[in-house]
Amino acid sequence: MRVGSLKPLLCAVALSGIAAAALAQPRSSAPTAAGVPAPATRQIVDAAGRTVTIPLQVNRVADPWPANNAMVLMLGGADKLVATSVQARNQPWLRKLYPRIDRVPAAFNAAGEANIETLIGARPDVILMAYGGALPRWLDAVTAYHLPVVMMPNDSLEGLKTVARMTGEVLGERESQAAAEYIRYFDDNIRRITQITNKLPASERPKVLHTASAGILTVDGRRSVIDDWINIAGGVNAADVAGLGRPVSMEQVAAWNPDVIIVGTAPNQQNRRAILDDPRWREIKAVRDGKVFANPSGAYLWDRHSAEAALQVLWAAKLLHPTLFADLDVKRETRRFYARFFHHALSDSELASIMNATAP
Amino acid sequence: MIIVPPALLYASLLMGRFPVSPLDVAHILLAQIFPMAPDWPKSAEIIVVQIRLPRAIMAMCVGAGLSISGAAYQGMFRNPLVSTDILGVTAASGFGAAVAILLSRNALQMQLIAFAFGLAGVMLTYLIARVSRTTPVLMLVLSGIIVASFFSACLSGTKYVADPDSKLPAITYWLLGSLNAASITALSTALPPIIVGSAGLLLVRWKLNVLAMGDEEARALGLRTEWVKGAIIVCTTLITAAAVSVCGMVGWVGLVIPHIGRMLVGPDHRTLLPATLSIGACFLLVVDDIARTATAGEIPLGILTAVIGAPFFAYLLRKTRGSWQ
Repeated sequence: MRVGSLKPLLCAVALSGIAAAALAQPRSSAPTAAGVPAPATRQIVDAAGRTVTIPLQVNRVADPWPANNAMVLMLGGADKLVATSVQARNQPWLRKLYPRIDRVPAAFNAAGEANIETLIGARPDVILMAYGGALPRWLDAVTAYHLPVVMMPNDSLEGLKTVARMTGEVLGERESQAAAEYIRYFDDNIRRITQITNKLPASERPKVLHTASAGILTVDGRRSVIDDWINIAGGVNAADVAGLGRPVSMEQVAAWNPDVIIVGTAPNQQNRRAILDDPRWREIKAVRDGKVFANPSGAYLWDRHSAEAALQVLWAAKLLHPTLFADLDVKRETRRFYARFFHHALSDSELASIMNATAP
Repeated sequence: MIIVPPALLYASLLMGRFPVSPLDVAHILLAQIFPMAPDWPKSAEIIVVQIRLPRAIMAMCVGAGLSISGAAYQGMFRNPLVSTDILGVTAASGFGAAVAILLSRNALQMQLIAFAFGLAGVMLTYLIARVSRTTPVLMLVLSGIIVASFFSACLSGTKYVADPDSKLPAITYWLLGSLNAASITALSTALPPIIVGSAGLLLVRWKLNVLAMGDEEARALGLRTEWVKGAIIVCTTLITAAAVSVCGMVGWVGLVIPHIGRMLVGPDHRTLLPATLSIGACFLLVVDDIARTATAGEIPLGILTAVIGAPFFAYLLRKTRGSWQ
């Protein structure tokens, strides 16, 4: 009797299993079977050298990279953002320029780890990621759902142009044109600066130290986007170490004895103050000469892999060589840039907030 | 044991990435006591007085403090595997420092926040362990594990929300340990707790011998064990919280230096504690000299203490064949 009462239940379980398998089967083959053409796709080669197939029409993008969220906004594709990271949502100027960022789900954390269910639930057509030499651990999980992941370079100023081009290409025709316009502007700015700074002999290139944080002293070294813009602007990186955010001893900084110190990393002004107030820094040339500056920061930190790197080279060149660039008005260029690429007319106080790296 | 630390201190002041001639170093040091006409560059004076000296003193005090705390705890818990972070002070201080980094506090505020969290963490451990006016060792150890894991988790939480471009590397490097933050200001806030704590431990060191026989025996011999234990916990916590708050997590020292001390002078706490004080000071000073001079970048202390200490410990271990126990 007991066994008999279990029978229908077992049958039901077995049947539902078969039914599920049957339902799952046609899901992938049904459209072609019904004669509907497979969705049109195109291919893109990413920074990791992978050939990635993405839909012809991309309407939904997941992008955890804070700097690139600003890039997507600049290229006019921000409404396509369906997933981002908490760090991107916390950028004060990005929030100001694009308030909707607050409602875009944060599917990623700081380390680039994704909540797979949030990510898949956001139904992105493409996932954009920064490539630091390794593919994301969750790549297989999203590949199983046919979500293409496009890796973009994150290591040099030249790579920034590739990022603009690739981001535009992924987003669509209109965004691609915006990217091309930006790249032209970017190249023009670089050319404008380098045609003067290229002629500088080594003796006229000030030693620039770019600090990443003050409390725990870390500096930005060679082979980085920071090193690139220091060289273009006619300086030389004082920090003879490789990579971003490297810890160095106070005495090593004194031995390098930089001519100029640029303080990156929020709160820039407070970190600048900390250097000026610290007796250990007092005899360093930059401090003695009053040449300690806070790096500007807008939709993203200007000094990093941000669209505003196009402005950073102008700002840094003027800072290092004021007489050579006497006719360069960085504030006017900044206003023009935000009006042209972010479609936002900066008020005086907003301009000051960007130049001083304070929240709007 | 008394002569070596000052000699090493002077030798350390001669070393560095910034070239200062040994003669200038001697002159600059003398000029701090006797009035002298300066014939050296101002920058050299800052290097020696503001950078090298505070850092070397900090290294010695932190090394000495962590070692003597480790020795005291190993005696009190009657367990050679115990180190200074057994009651959760390191994890709690570390969490405080990470919070301070997240909130972009300055160096001094960060130090004070880390110190306060360290004290609070141990207080929590003590309250959890308290059973009808006594604190049995097992209860202390277990509550220490509870508090340490809780704050470690909170610490990981701060890393999880930290900005990867700026805050995250700062927290990571801080956790690996560094004496780079040593300045005269940092010294003036971190040294008093370390000195008071170490002096306190030296004062109760003969009671440690009694305590090491076990609570029951110690009480039978008329020792007010709760008071002694309380005093030891207060002293070690002051030391460790101050050390962690200024130089991050420096592992290994508090665990292994006491053993090296025992190999050299035996298990009697009356001689062991002063000996570990001296050995610990020398050890961290030498390690930090390497950390700040070996490469252009700064090598995190947490890496070096074990990389240098482990082979040395292995050598001593083989040589004595464990016979000092």
